[in-house]
Amino acid sequence: MRKFNYKNIGIVLVAMLFSLTACEKFLDLEPPFSQDADNYFTEPSHYELALIGAYDLLQGSFINLWIGEIASDNAIAGGESVTDSQGLHEIEAMTHGAVNRELRSVFQWNYAGVSRANFILENRNNINFDGKDQILAEATFLRGYYYFQLVKYFGEVPLIIDKRLGADEVTEIKRSSTADVYAQIEADLSFAASNLNPVNPVKGRVNKWAALALLGKVQLYQNKFSQSAVNLDQVINSMQYQLIGDYRNLFLVGNEGHSEAVFDVQYSGLEGGSYDCLICLEGNAAVGFQGIRQYTGPIYSDGNSYNLPTQDLYNSFESADDIRRNATILDIDSFISQQPNPANISYAIGGGGHTGLYNNKYIKKQGELGLPDNDLTSPVNNIVIRYADVLLMAAEAHNRSNNDGQALIYLNQVRSRVSLSAVSAAGQALTDAIWAERRYELSGEGHRFFDLVRTGQAASRISGFQVGKHELFAIPQIEIALAGGNWSQNQGY
Amino acid sequence: MRYLFFLASFMIWGNTFCQEGTITGQVKGSDGFTIPGASVIVKGTTNGVATDIDGNYLIKVSDLKTAILKFSYLGYATQEIAVAGRKKIDIVLKEASKEIDEVVVVGYGTSTKKTLTGATSQVGGEEVEKLNVARVDQALQGQVSGVAINTNSGSPGGASSIRIRGLSTFGDNDPLILVDGVVYDSEGLNALNPNDIASVNVLKDATAGIYGVRAANGVIIIETKKGALNSAPKVEFSSYLGVQNTARRLDLLNATEYAVIKNEIFGSAGDAIPFGNTSIGEGTDWQDEVFQSALIQNYNFSVLGGNKNSTYSAGASYFTQDGIVGGDKSNFERINARLNLGNQLNDKVKLNSVILYTNEKRRALPENGIGSVLYNTINAFPNESVKTADGNYSYLEEVSDIINPLAQIENSQNQAIVNKIVGKEELVFEINDNFTFTNRLNYNYASVDFKAFSPLVWYGQGKAQNTALNANLDPTRVEIADSVFIDRGASVFESRSTFVDLNGESYLNYDRIFNEDHSVKGTIGVSVFQRTGNQLNGSAFNIPGNSVDFADISANLAPGGFLNNTGSFEFEERLLSTFFRGEYGFKGKYLGSVIIRRDGSSKFGPNNRFGTFPTVSAAWLISEEEFFKFEKITFAKLRGSYGVSGNDQIQNFAYRAQLDGEGVYVFDDVIVQGVAIGRASNPDLKWESTRQFNLGLDLVIGDNFNITTNYFIKNTKDLLFQPEVSGILGTTGPGGQSPIVNAGDVSNKGIELELAYYSDRNKELKYAINFNTTYLRNEVLKTPDGVEFIPGAAFGVGGGVATRFEEGFAIGYFHGFETDGIFQSQEEIDNATVVQEGAKPGDIRYVDQNGDGVISFNDDSDRKEIGSAIPDFTFGLNLSAEYKNFDFSMNVFAAVGQEIIRNYERQQPFANQLDYVIDRWVGTGTSNDNPRLTTEANRNGEFSDYFVENGAFMRIKNIQLGYTLPEKLSKKIKSNSIRLYVSVNNLLTVTQYRGFDPEIGSVGGALAAGVDYGFYPQARTVMGGFNFKF
Repeated sequence: MRKFNYKNIGIVLVAMLFSLTACEKFLDLEPPFSQDADNYFTEPSHYELALIGAYDLLQGSFINLWIGEIASDNAIAGGESVTDSQGLHEIEAMTHGAVNRELRSVFQWNYAGVSRANFILENRNNINFDGKDQILAEATFLRGYYYFQLVKYFGEVPLIIDKRLGADEVTEIKRSSTADVYAQIEADLSFAASNLNPVNPVKGRVNKWAALALLGKVQLYQNKFSQSAVNLDQVINSMQYQLIGDYRNLFLVGNEGHSEAVFDVQYSGLEGGSYDCLICLEGNAAVGFQGIRQYTGPIYSDGNSYNLPTQDLYNSFESADDIRRNATILDIDSFISQQPNPANISYAIGGGGHTGLYNNKYIKKQGELGLPDNDLTSPVNNIVIRYADVLLMAAEAHNRSNNDGQALIYLNQVRSRVSLSAVSAAGQALTDAIWAERRYELSGEGHRFFDLVRTGQAASRISGFQVGKHELFAIPQIEIALAGGNWSQNQGY
Repeated sequence: MRYLFFLASFMIWGNTFCQEGTITGQVKGSDGFTIPGASVIVKGTTNGVATDIDGNYLIKVSDLKTAILKFSYLGYATQEIAVAGRKKIDIVLKEASKEIDEVVVVGYGTSTKKTLTGATSQVGGEEVEKLNVARVDQALQGQVSGVAINTNSGSPGGASSIRIRGLSTFGDNDPLILVDGVVYDSEGLNALNPNDIASVNVLKDATAGIYGVRAANGVIIIETKKGALNSAPKVEFSSYLGVQNTARRLDLLNATEYAVIKNEIFGSAGDAIPFGNTSIGEGTDWQDEVFQSALIQNYNFSVLGGNKNSTYSAGASYFTQDGIVGGDKSNFERINARLNLGNQLNDKVKLNSVILYTNEKRRALPENGIGSVLYNTINAFPNESVKTADGNYSYLEEVSDIINPLAQIENSQNQAIVNKIVGKEELVFEINDNFTFTNRLNYNYASVDFKAFSPLVWYGQGKAQNTALNANLDPTRVEIADSVFIDRGASVFESRSTFVDLNGESYLNYDRIFNEDHSVKGTIGVSVFQRTGNQLNGSAFNIPGNSVDFADISANLAPGGFLNNTGSFEFEERLLSTFFRGEYGFKGKYLGSVIIRRDGSSKFGPNNRFGTFPTVSAAWLISEEEFFKFEKITFAKLRGSYGVSGNDQIQNFAYRAQLDGEGVYVFDDVIVQGVAIGRASNPDLKWESTRQFNLGLDLVIGDNFNITTNYFIKNTKDLLFQPEVSGILGTTGPGGQSPIVNAGDVSNKGIELELAYYSDRNKELKYAINFNTTYLRNEVLKTPDGVEFIPGAAFGVGGGVATRFEEGFAIGYFHGFETDGIFQSQEEIDNATVVQEGAKPGDIRYVDQNGDGVISFNDDSDRKEIGSAIPDFTFGLNLSAEYKNFDFSMNVFAAVGQEIIRNYERQQPFANQLDYVIDRWVGTGTSNDNPRLTTEANRNGEFSDYFVENGAFMRIKNIQLGYTLPEKLSKKIKSNSIRLYVSVNNLLTVTQYRGFDPEIGSVGGALAAGVDYGFYPQARTVMGGFNFKF
């Protein structure tokens, strides 16, 4: 042991360790089995996968079903208590301000969608392959859709096109004028319409007619009636769509993909989820939330009693013969009394309000449940543009561009499906008839508030609505702050 | 290479003239008894012996003239005696009652309490052992100042949150924990048997900076027991057995009270009354049904000793604890074996090995949140029996998210098995008297096998936890393709993970005294650390028979495997460090130290990979000065330190943007996976840094009264944050995350005081009193630009945010309405100067903070700070006494100045309630504290100080009485000592808090502290044990 040369061993060890520390490469680790955002889009599948990511944000559309109804004269917020989704209660009462979680979600989700579409479009020229145009057109459609949501809710919003924003650019970007935002949306949708295939064999992917229908709707929102009419006519004349026979079957899972769905957001019941992240769900949260609280009984299933129709809506229908009234609104007590064993059926009233009425279009039903927790995992698709809506929009576009003849044809198509007599008005009377028809036909589908604002009827229909203020929602205060505090707030907030 | 030359130049040694000889003598303690096993070493050599059973020794020295003998024994002050030609030296060792000569393990070296320049606190192994706790961190609570330990769950195997000098960061606030130099995480402390611990040293101030980028939250250094050279084997066998019960039950409504109050709730809103007959007796006490007595057992065997060349310390233990909720469904079991070896390979080289093997099993129930067993227990309806007449568990149907807690326990089937091997191999070269060169490899290997069985269950209509379709337990049917349905039966989830830490360290210590007055110590070293981990998991459906007997993936009968799923992950992270410490002392009076550490961390991008962390510290031993003439004060030291340390505890690769977001949609009715950007990148990301100043004073009065006090300011800058970012960045979609940025500052200021008094050890009654207290003030100094506050924990269901991170307030402070009693009448509401929309008599009256005459529920203008989970003061009191053969000890812990949010009440009409609601408002003048109860829409559920309670408490953590058998008796069974004891943990808690346990940790991170979701309380444990020494 005397010859044990500890000095040499020591020297070697020290030398090894010190040389290691000198070698900074030791710290150059690469993330395992994962790709960076900056060196993507090197093969066709990358475009396809990124497009799925851009579609994902459509699933936030359930919130439009809430806000579009609750903000209007159609529904109250409901729920467990007045502090349960407080933002919706404020919107119901027209007391909403710049601090509102639900409105912030609208802002965040739609910009996330814009950003995911931009991620594809900024890399549009990386490689060439068959089918790229179709993917780019779908991405462009999605960006147009997301910006349309933003401009409807918030008016002037910053335009970010074909790029991802760096953190340092956030504080410099300004709100773009409404006209510029609309121009961008029209450009995107026109590009999409001319590049999308007329038929997309994959259920859930958009086609040319969806783009034209949305473009027509966007133009209607800007009162560009004749342009709108041209685009909507193309959809109608394509003969791709028709009204289905029984109005009551429009929102059944079993009927999904029917001939009236021009653009519908796809949901699935095959993935669980949590209340913590509603935008992460693959299910349609509106359906479970709008279900009957603690319901036990036939046909329906229990839910959270959100978005409850008002008596005003119920009473607005011309006649009890209009099957759309009961297809749109469930009068729970009347329903129970008509069942064989009413005593065995029960439900509870939520502390957030009660009208005795439930949204009968998007409502949790037995046989349409997703995986647990089925309040969150409904597979019911949200039909964003329905053919009946296309007909009514086209009717309005023609009527307001002085073509009452065509308008009447479209309007009466919608009425005859539900066995109502034909209307034969003209001019403003016809306009009023079309607007009324929109309420009968489309209530519960999230259009009402935006229709009231667009047509200038909001102040007369919504109590608490202030002209010059409530046409738009407030930009979330925190978003103004996070963008450097340079944006002005919407008028009145 | 220059330092190699430097190193070699110190290796010259020569000793040519010497006079060999033998010295004998006896070692006694100051009580007159001989000390067997005391160590006698010739200073500066490894030549040493131990005293025999009668305290005698015989040692050879090479030079009788110059040799110095060093006598030491645990618990006694080490003495050095110059031989000066003598051949017989008897010596009396003084007990180290002053403690200041005690050796303290610091980073990469040792020191003594006397010469330390930093702020540290020590806990001895004996104290840890006495507390009979499952985990060492539980033993630290109340023992030292400046360290707050909060149990995150009282369930067996539940971890604690350890906070040294407050919350200083947004993310991971756990200190760096080193056991024999090996890194442990706070979760991993479960593997350690508290009986194996020799000492715990907590580095609280900037001198922890020797650990650089990971030291900002402080460092805890734990040493396990080691044998001594030339000592006879000491064998110890100890065991305890205890019974645990809940220390607290909530005062809930019984069935009659419940019926009366529910009738009122519905009746007042004009709804139908649910109970026609309210005389329904006491009903079910769900707490009685859920809480049970549970056993806790511990068996521990150890042996330590050593011969001329080697030391050993070996141990084995078995520990098992059932839960007071769920019994063996909430069990923790640990088998552990340990071996510490020290080998003198030759007179210069020593090999130290530490190896620890642990096998842990843990079963757990859902805790701490909506859906936890206790949450369901609190809210379950007393009018319903546990089981219905047909023998099924009752459904509790009126509230959709409350399920029968007993059914829940029965259906809960999971187990985590951890196998862990931790240790080090260390070669120490004692180059000469001055240089020691240490090289070691530390390793920490853990494999975690987890399995959870999810049977088909039915808790009643509409319950979210249902996995079956109906009460017959039919499986749900899943449409996997158009009109193709398959059953989704019972499922099992299994995962297997492996984590490996490897850490190579090499450092050179230098220690020399020049000209008697100048002591110089130096440490220079390098450290290379790598942590890797991976997991493979899978879930499989249609387990046959819906039975746990077949709960294995291999048994699944899923048709075509369609529903089955797999997943995996893998990670790797590295640290590369060099460090230096220089210490200088002049005449033992003036001490100074400089530390510099440079760390490179793979957590950060190339722009900011390396950081340098300097610290300076100094001490002045005033009592060594000649002018110091206070006879009563035998020791006085003034200390100061200032330095920078870091924190790199964030996810890997946060500096770059990866496609790890969630891009999932549905095409053709099938869920399809796409890609999306996850977290946005931040190439400039760097560690957060803590600048800490400490000023301390240590005093010893007489022989037996120690005072230590510290004042500190700890400012953390560049907090690692994931603040909200603008939505236009596009990171707010599914799976998206804000970039991690450096933004925000937090300050912790505080005062610590430790007092220790030891009575005269020569008297028959010996006692010791140890008291410590900490005052802490935490404040957020800055939030990221554009961010007014960061929202924290939510209140209630679907409700607002109750806690915040905001400038000018403590981290996670509570933010809500201030209340001002109850509206007694409509007249009062009508005449009020402040408009509170929707208020009715019996509603809470809120305070109009901004004075605009309106209570604004839609914004923050009328909300304010209404509490904080951070105590102002904490206190620890430890008493121990010995009289003849009896010994007694008691530990008390108290905290004041903190609040708790009562968030375990389900705000639903049918949920059960605490009985304070009996004193609700029912008419003018009936109550000014508790609002009316009604199903009518009201604002009483807004987060306000009505839901905030005083969290102050005082708890007797442990009280123990022991008896050591007379030697005559113990010798009969050849034992040196037999001690028997009885002990109670959590005997008494004094608090006003209504919940189960005021001592609640923070499960959801720094901003969720103090939010009580139905906390699993710590049990009261009555136990008896014995301790045999051979």
